[in-house]
Amino acid sequence: MTGREAARPKHGSAGRRLLIAAALLFLGVFLVMPLLVVFSAALSKGVAAYAAAITDPLALSAVRLTLTVVAIAVPLNVVFGVAAAWTIAKFEFRGKSALLTLIDLPFAVSPVIAGLIFILLFGSSGWFGAFLQAHAIRIVFAVPGIVLATIFVTFPFVARELVPVMQAQGKDAEETALSLGASGWQTFWRITLPDIRWGLLYGVLLCNARAMGEFGAVSVVSGHIRGLTNTMPLHVEILYNEYNIAAAFAVASLLALLALATLAAKSMLEWREPQLGRHALRAPDRTRRGQA
Amino acid sequence: MSIVLRGVSKRYGAYAAVENIDLTVPTGAMLALVGPSGCGKTTVLRIIAGLETPDRGEVLLDGRDATRWPIRDRKVGFVFQHYALFRHMTVFENVAFGLKVKPRRERPTAAAIARKVDALLELVQLGWAGARFPAQLSGGQRQRVALARALAVDPELLLLDEPFGALDAQVRHELRRWLRRLHEELNFTSVFVTHDQQEAIELADSIVVLNRGRIEQSGAPGEVYETPTSDFVYRFLGQVNELAVTLRGERVCLGPFEIDVPLADAQGQQVALIRPHEIDVSREAGGWPAKVLAVRVIGPIVRLELAAEGRAPTDPLEAELSLERHATLGFVVGETVNLRLRRWQIYPLPTT
Repeated sequence: MTGREAARPKHGSAGRRLLIAAALLFLGVFLVMPLLVVFSAALSKGVAAYAAAITDPLALSAVRLTLTVVAIAVPLNVVFGVAAAWTIAKFEFRGKSALLTLIDLPFAVSPVIAGLIFILLFGSSGWFGAFLQAHAIRIVFAVPGIVLATIFVTFPFVARELVPVMQAQGKDAEETALSLGASGWQTFWRITLPDIRWGLLYGVLLCNARAMGEFGAVSVVSGHIRGLTNTMPLHVEILYNEYNIAAAFAVASLLALLALATLAAKSMLEWREPQLGRHALRAPDRTRRGQA
Repeated sequence: MSIVLRGVSKRYGAYAAVENIDLTVPTGAMLALVGPSGCGKTTVLRIIAGLETPDRGEVLLDGRDATRWPIRDRKVGFVFQHYALFRHMTVFENVAFGLKVKPRRERPTAAAIARKVDALLELVQLGWAGARFPAQLSGGQRQRVALARALAVDPELLLLDEPFGALDAQVRHELRRWLRRLHEELNFTSVFVTHDQQEAIELADSIVVLNRGRIEQSGAPGEVYETPTSDFVYRFLGQVNELAVTLRGERVCLGPFEIDVPLADAQGQQVALIRPHEIDVSREAGGWPAKVLAVRVIGPIVRLELAAEGRAPTDPLEAELSLERHATLGFVVGETVNLRLRRWQIYPLPTT
């Protein structure tokens, strides 16, 4: 008996080490190495070439365009996502599961198809083509098309992240706030929103990352007009196709830095409010129920 | 605040949650809505609060038709079963919430709010806990925060949904007494929902027993307990022994006893219900012979399981006697005793 018990932890620790090693190896190969490769390739021709690549007017215009698109698409998707999640989580109505499926549609559809949808709708021979041409409105092969395609592709992130959080939240706290005399807006701003803010933050981060990095749909609607409708991922591709590897990776490293910056911002927010960090989000039951 | 419900009904799809409820609660009273789960008691409470709108019928608050009033205009405090504390706020902020969201011209100054919140936290014996978060409190403490928060806006009506359901017996007992005292001191009207008949009888001035969305019986707790008008209420309010009522020739019989019931009343299927403490157990001759199957001491009372003659042993009768009486008589398992029925109620057999 005692011999077996003594043997077990040893065997367990060997197995544990093996598993940890496998996990670390996997992380290293699939996450850390690519990141390092991006930066080493970007700097392969020296710091001067790197600086030249990222201060190139075309690169700067791509950065500006990407940030513009993100600045429009992410806030809109936050509003849509919160409204959709709130409707789905807190109300019973017919067609609710159909709406949920519809929200997932952008995940299911290939981004290239998503881009083509907008060409078919707003292109010169599309459904609204004649109307748009008559009024000299450019959507496809212009910034509005890129924004639309980005909104479409990144729509599910905020809603998907918030639906389970809001379902777990229930209606009790909101109804209590109303009984205490709060108005609908006061209830939303002071009760609903603070309680979902971590879920919302994750949704925004995911949405933001995808909006910056979206390639397929944007590639279809952009028209690749250098300096005008080239976003950062498109610019990277053009440089790469021109065998300008170092410049391509230099711009790619900017994208990677933007992603790292958002992650850092998230960690900072969590660190500043440890009281209400992930624990509160992940264990709603402990705070919600008594010690029955 | 007085409450009147007139003919109130509410359906969810095809399911009738409550049907044709008539209810009156005078100002300053404490009413308990009791019934098994799914009987519609919480729906009635939510209709009074304004969290649900009835499909038919009306709600009068202080004599005025409030059926369509939103909850924030009703001056009610609502305490949820799981307290629904705002978990991103401290205890102090929770209690202050109702005062801080008042429109600017009605809102007290920050100093006045702080004074009031501190006073309320003292009242619920949580003066020390203002800076804590709800997650750091025990169940009973959270319940008291929820009460203080509801009382902060000076409600004329306090509604509580299973207020003590999630608490252990000791805490529950203390909180009950404390709530009753608070109710009398502050003089508001209270309505609470519970599935615990003892809680209702102990705490309320009057109780309403609900079953399948309808009122079975209402009245003072003692009155309802002593004279249940239906076998449902009788069964719901305590332990029950069930005896078939049989016709033997021209006589009505209850077990081996002939009883005094007009023959006409005994037509159709009937059942007699007897509470365990209404059966006398003795060794004196006469009565209904029964064998003692088990003796259980439950604190101050002793419960006997008895296989009465002529009944299946799988369906024993239960009798209760005081610990003192048991000490004198000392019944043991296996002996034969004699039963006498002191009191019973006869009801038509439920048709289900």
